Amino acid sequence: MFKKTHPLQSKSEIILRNIVVTVMVIYFTIFLVVPIGIAFAGSFHEWNPLSGTYNFLGLANYIEVFTSGLFGKSMLNTLIFSVVVIFFRVGLGLAIAYAIYSTLVKHKSFFRAVYYMPVVTPMVAVAFVWKFMYNPQIGTINQIFGLDVNWLMDPKTALLAVMIMTIWKDFGYAVVMYMAGLYSLPADALEAAKVDGASAWQTFRYITLPLLKPMTLFVVITSIISYIQAYVQILIMTEGGPGTATYLASYIIYDEAFVKYNFGYASALSFVLFVITAVFTWLSFRVSGTEE
Amino acid sequence: MMKKRIFVAMMAAAMAMTSLAGCGSGAGKSTGGNAEAKVEAPTEPFGDTIKYDPSVEINDGKDISVELWEWGSDDLFQQVIDGYTAIHPNVSIKLVNNPWEDYWTKLPLALDGDKGPAIFNVHNSYHENLINYMAPLDIPLEDLQADFTGVDAHVIDGKVYYIDYGMMTGSVYYNKKMWEEAGLTEADIPKTWDEMREVAKKLTKRDGDKLIQAGLNFNDDFHQNYLLGLNYQLGEKLFQEDGRTPNVNSDAMKKVMQMLVDMYEVDGVGSKDFGEKGADSFGQGQSAMVIQWGHYYNTLKTTWSDIDFGVFEIPTFDGNPYAYNRYNGESTFGVNKNAPADQQAVAQDFIKYFLANDEAQINFNLAMSTFPAKKSLANNEKILENPSLKVLSEHIDHYIWPGPMPSTVETSLKKAGQDIFFNGVDIDTALNEAQENIIKDMKNSSFVSVENLYAFDK
Repeated sequence: MFKKTHPLQSKSEIILRNIVVTVMVIYFTIFLVVPIGIAFAGSFHEWNPLSGTYNFLGLANYIEVFTSGLFGKSMLNTLIFSVVVIFFRVGLGLAIAYAIYSTLVKHKSFFRAVYYMPVVTPMVAVAFVWKFMYNPQIGTINQIFGLDVNWLMDPKTALLAVMIMTIWKDFGYAVVMYMAGLYSLPADALEAAKVDGASAWQTFRYITLPLLKPMTLFVVITSIISYIQAYVQILIMTEGGPGTATYLASYIIYDEAFVKYNFGYASALSFVLFVITAVFTWLSFRVSGTEE
Repeated sequence: MMKKRIFVAMMAAAMAMTSLAGCGSGAGKSTGGNAEAKVEAPTEPFGDTIKYDPSVEINDGKDISVELWEWGSDDLFQQVIDGYTAIHPNVSIKLVNNPWEDYWTKLPLALDGDKGPAIFNVHNSYHENLINYMAPLDIPLEDLQADFTGVDAHVIDGKVYYIDYGMMTGSVYYNKKMWEEAGLTEADIPKTWDEMREVAKKLTKRDGDKLIQAGLNFNDDFHQNYLLGLNYQLGEKLFQEDGRTPNVNSDAMKKVMQMLVDMYEVDGVGSKDFGEKGADSFGQGQSAMVIQWGHYYNTLKTTWSDIDFGVFEIPTFDGNPYAYNRYNGESTFGVNKNAPADQQAVAQDFIKYFLANDEAQINFNLAMSTFPAKKSLANNEKILENPSLKVLSEHIDHYIWPGPMPSTVETSLKKAGQDIFFNGVDIDTALNEAQENIIKDMKNSSFVSVENLYAFDK
């Protein structure tokens, strides 16, 4: 299957490589390519796998997606949600990582672990706890701040409340990523800046930040992919409400597929979302100038 | 659905309070169903019109194993299995529990193959996903109709695949302590909505402007417990004549919605921001009255046992309603049509045993707080000892089941209500949007309302 391309490759190494690659190809074919193909075909059908319904509809599902007011509203919500959460995830992550990176801070591993703990806690558990904290009568947030706000049922605060929870849970990921990036910075560049008399801010602005650009791009792109798919926090905290005020695009897919068993329409939504995700990812590369 | 999941978790505990004492008449033989409890196996035929004859062998007396799938309350099912296998020791029924969330995806996929369970528990909200895999019951339709109410609503092309063993609906639960503190007595129990609103005002407490005790709380469940039911009191059905077009923007629905808004915004007996869920708020001692369905009785008994509560029938607008409310049936088991013939025969026999067995019917109904569909049990002493069932007994024939409605009917009305209460949308617009959503979501559904089977249909 694979030819020997390097003189130092041994026969056993080639065999091992072939086995590993073959296994991976089979795995991704069965669990990724085939399901995607089935879903793509299903997006042109009225499809309920549980009742055995599978009737060809042509482009009807896609037409419904693009004429649906709810999908448009949910895309706007998704855009707001993603931009705000990514902004704070990157901003807080970078700020805290830089603070921990500072020579003034001791016990760096402790802080890194503390900030990363919410990331490894299941979203379901975190969402339930925050839902309780947002309770207008007995929630700690209103009690601590002396407020009388129905956080999750007021259309002015519901999406904001979910975003705050998501930022709290996820910014630790950016902290760890940026710390890895900071520790891999070339020491000579930083040393040169110091010798040239650059201030701390100048060093950060003109040396550190540009060198962290690949890491920033990585965090932003993985965040875009992640937040366009966000629905668990919505499912638990608001169920899309009040009304449809906190509907996100992925929540509609969940609702159509697993509540209404409308798998055909849900598949069409998924492919539209897939294209949108791909476009945003490409745009991120373009903006950062690292398209190649 | 959430309420269902919570309730299912309660059922096992509730069942500890009841006991299966065998069934039928005549001398019994004692057979060890399991190591802990001996089950009296009847030797004489029992049942009303549907008779079960324990002397008839199943599978010619040869050993056979089948599976029964359910999503909760194992003890309840195991008691019926123990009773059945005591009669037929050659039959082994393996109880398989799948949590509610998994059950409705695993079951249809299992039934589609040849390894699915011969017997499975049914919930009518998943009717469309199950019906293609079900075998019709091997019991004459006339016998089912003779013994059980609501059978006609389950007839498909002259065949019945499952029926209801119980009917669940809404009643008013009130906190007795708060009732007394407000100076109310049994004589104040309201019969009409006007009286209900006055009572709710008396039960409401404020500290300055701040609400500290709601007289009535319908947060989070107004769509299930008010909108989808009180329309019947005003003579309007949930679906139009064709049985498929929703009728949720009817004048009746608007009137009910307006009453809910007025109770909070004019009467001030509660607030959209007071207590995330009315049911929880009542259990936590923050609200004096809630309207809840039968399962709430056992929820209160197990989760909020400190609350001293009473139950009364849902009020009406004029004392002479077309129907009192909507009900939903708790379904009997289904038979897998793809199971081997010998397993299907066991499944059919097991269901016949269950339907003929009064004690099992009583236990299931008490555990679920459903009013028995079995006609002979309507005045059963054990059933009427349950206050949530007793209040239904007088008018149970004046409740309507619309059929296994697609979930969009509930969810669209919930969104409409939230739009009205939280998003400032007017009632007409919100209900018109709900109407359009339901029509769109139901375009591929095979659902047809059975409201026209109501005995007192106009």
